[in-house]
Amino acid sequence: METPKRPSSFAQYKTLLAKDLRQEFRTREMLVSMGVYALLVIVVFGVALSFARPGEEFLEVSAGLLWALIVFTSLLGLNRSFSHEIEEGCLEGLLLAPLDHGVVFLSKATSNMVFLLIVEAIAIPLYWLFFSSLAHPAETGWLMVAPILVGSVGIAGIGTLLSTITVNTRGKDVMLALLFVPIVFPLLYACVSATTAAIVGGDLMAESFMVSLALAAGYDVIMILASWVLYDFVVGA
Amino acid sequence: MKEKAREVKLPESGQWPDRIAPVVLGAGIVLSTLGFLLAFLWVGPVYGASVDGVELIGGSMVSQMLLISQKIFYFHMPVAIVSFIALAFAAYYAIRFLMTKEQRFDSCSQVAMEVALLFVICTMITGEMWTRFEWGVWWTWEPRLTTYLILMLIVIAYFILRNAVDEPERSATYSAVISIIALIDVPICFMVTRLIPSSIHPVVLREGGMTADMGICLAVCLLGLLCVGFALYRARFNQLRLSQRVEAMKQTLEEQQ
Amino acid sequence: MNPILEQIYSTVIPSAPYVIAAYALIWVALLVYLLFIMRGTKKAQAQMTLLEEELAAQEAKRSAEASLSTSAALGEDKVS
Repeated sequence: METPKRPSSFAQYKTLLAKDLRQEFRTREMLVSMGVYALLVIVVFGVALSFARPGEEFLEVSAGLLWALIVFTSLLGLNRSFSHEIEEGCLEGLLLAPLDHGVVFLSKATSNMVFLLIVEAIAIPLYWLFFSSLAHPAETGWLMVAPILVGSVGIAGIGTLLSTITVNTRGKDVMLALLFVPIVFPLLYACVSATTAAIVGGDLMAESFMVSLALAAGYDVIMILASWVLYDFVVGA
Repeated sequence: MKEKAREVKLPESGQWPDRIAPVVLGAGIVLSTLGFLLAFLWVGPVYGASVDGVELIGGSMVSQMLLISQKIFYFHMPVAIVSFIALAFAAYYAIRFLMTKEQRFDSCSQVAMEVALLFVICTMITGEMWTRFEWGVWWTWEPRLTTYLILMLIVIAYFILRNAVDEPERSATYSAVISIIALIDVPICFMVTRLIPSSIHPVVLREGGMTADMGICLAVCLLGLLCVGFALYRARFNQLRLSQRVEAMKQTLEEQQ
Repeated sequence: MNPILEQIYSTVIPSAPYVIAAYALIWVALLVYLLFIMRGTKKAQAQMTLLEEELAAQEAKRSAEASLSTSAALGEDKVS
């Protein structure tokens, strides 16, 4: 008689992540809705900027607009990421399994981050394509990949915790936005600063890119640790 | 349940903080009134931009404009400090709640958060009045202003979240998590808005340095407002406990019938 | 008043409304919260007295019933 060996935490993590990704790639429900939503936000920006004069001034606001796009799109994705788990009672099944809740958090955060990055990979080139008539980013523009990566990690981390909380509340869509926007504010500020520095280049780049990026990364580490610790209480309630 | 209560000492109305609360309230009223009077009558004035001459006022030569608006500062900074202390207490009781799952700690956390909201609103009001006069605008994205706006938004979201969950246990857990996140988030917010060298938003620096009399006045105001905050906390806590007991009694009566 | 003194005191009058408003609004905010607490306390206390009366009436009713019934019924009552 031998008892079956308990799978390692990493194996559990891989299984859960694969489950989420497989489910999404089969229906592509969330990716399509996030992608179309991002396009719609770009259209709204197009209207908002339709009377703007082309020129270098646009570069200073373009990073902010880009991050507004990312925040709105990620809000949509985070809202959806738990709603189908609840609708089909999957979350309860998941929590009944002898799993560490930290693993559930990490897998869910990773899948949210993967979806966000996929949508960003489509939406951000589109953004530059649509607004290329206004201004071109500086040579260092490709460096904005770094703040976008760091920002996506943070958004996925804290966003997963918050969407788990709000999925059980009344008026969950509004509730998520109410909690998410102020809590993610420092990360947003740092990322906008770093992205602006990358796009504008020159003196601003040298001055504030690394500081902003380091602060954003610090926020990521602290908030993901806090979310990881607190997640156990949230799903246990 | 009773054994558990013996292990964890639960805060309850009528314990030692309530016995000292009236004294503290009195001290708070006296000290904050004293601070108010000191700020206007005793502390030396602060001067701003130079004028085109010198005049002898009260035995000293004055060549700069008198800044009365600076008097707001003597209540503004203590109020801000008290709001942050209340936030820290809310997070402390939230941690106690998550560890013990005792509803009582959740009540403490909620009341501390309410006091924090009250003092955050006071901070915003005084800050706005000063900003409006000195900088001529109602709002700028200056680090301290931004941090307090974010703090206020998180605290408001906390109360909306509390009311959006029906099960008491769940609502308590979620609010505890949010109050801990708020305590972590606010210093980061201040750091981020402060440390990023920004050529887009000018960081306004006030020439610093406090004289001894300013420090004393500030300390008196801070002490007074801390006492007021504590007394308000206890009063609200007693009221909440009374309401909770009424609810419990209603339930037992319904069960008996 | 000479012009220099006028310049020195030039900010006093314009800033006065803001200073007064700042202090008054703090005071109002604290007072509103205090009134809110006091109203809640009054309401809860009124409800408490009503409930206590109700409870006392029920107790009286029950003890009257208990004295009428047999000792076995009394035992049952204690269990419940």
